[in-house]
Amino acid sequence: MVTNKIDYKIERATYYKVLVGLLLLTAVTFVQPYLFMTGSTFLAQMIIAVVKAWLIVMYYMHLKGEKLIGATVIFALFLVMVFFIIVIGIDVPNFQFGAESHITSQVVDHAANAAHEAH
Amino acid sequence: MAHAYVPEIAVDREGNEHEVQGWQDDFYGGKLGFWLFMLTEVMMFGGMFLALAYYNTLHPQDYIEASASLNRFLGGTNTVILLVSALTMGLGLLKMRTGDVKGAKLMIWATIILALVFLGIKAVEWTAEYHHGIFLMHGQMLPESTMAFGKKLFFGMYFTMTGLHGFHIIIGIGLMLWLLKRINAGKVSTEHHILHFNIALYWDIVHLIWVFVFPYFYMIGAGDVAGGAHGH
Repeated sequence: MVTNKIDYKIERATYYKVLVGLLLLTAVTFVQPYLFMTGSTFLAQMIIAVVKAWLIVMYYMHLKGEKLIGATVIFALFLVMVFFIIVIGIDVPNFQFGAESHITSQVVDHAANAAHEAH
Repeated sequence: MAHAYVPEIAVDREGNEHEVQGWQDDFYGGKLGFWLFMLTEVMMFGGMFLALAYYNTLHPQDYIEASASLNRFLGGTNTVILLVSALTMGLGLLKMRTGDVKGAKLMIWATIILALVFLGIKAVEWTAEYHHGIFLMHGQMLPESTMAFGKKLFFGMYFTMTGLHGFHIIIGIGLMLWLLKRINAGKVSTEHHILHFNIALYWDIVHLIWVFVFPYFYMIGAGDVAGGAHGH
């Protein structure tokens, strides 16, 4: 089996290098809200998470050099992104039914206002 | 009950018999199939993240305040535990691939123990939140409570997503115990380690999901308002 032709020491060194990288990025995750990009914590956190994910997928999940599986994964992530863009980027900014929706607090306010006006 | 392998025989036009090649050793096929399964996991959690982001855009301030009230120390500890467990699982696979079966089994046990610690910490966290009246269909989460609606949505997603993630951890522990049984039975070995490879992949995706779950729930409220060790 081709996958058995590996050098234990070299592979183990890679695992530890990636571990150090992930631990450092985790530390950055904790200090980021107090150090940099403090106004856009969400964006900064997601960027760090994507870098961590890339390290895990490439080295721990052995996707480096796997062209077919890599392309499949990128395609699947692209599809997920399309849905995010449609819903969060297009649908939400044009949300027209805030007053009637059950997922916004306006419905509660609306009902409270109506009750207030009735009195 | 073990069954003897009976090869399938194909006969060509000249009447010669040929043994059909089995797919038991198709390492790449096994790996590709498992990746396809993992993409369904991405879609499932992707849908949940979509709902989370959708509610977030409707109630941004409630999300930040709710996030700030979570215990970042416990969440962070679990992040490091899962990170180290990904290493032990990976080293276990490496040992298996290079012929150190005993070392591989030890690493799998180490991963199981770390997974149990993760679950224990999660249980402590959930219990504390329950005692603060924050749990699904309980206390402040009930429709009649005065807690901000966005916070109810945040905590609802928090329990749903960390709960589903915790369920994946439990499944992972079960898979690792099964893997140990298969190794002891000689069914998984250095030459035939696709099961070990795929279970290691599964554990990596469980880790990968947490890499996004942790910052979204625990960190987006950091810095803005008091939280961390003063959380639930």
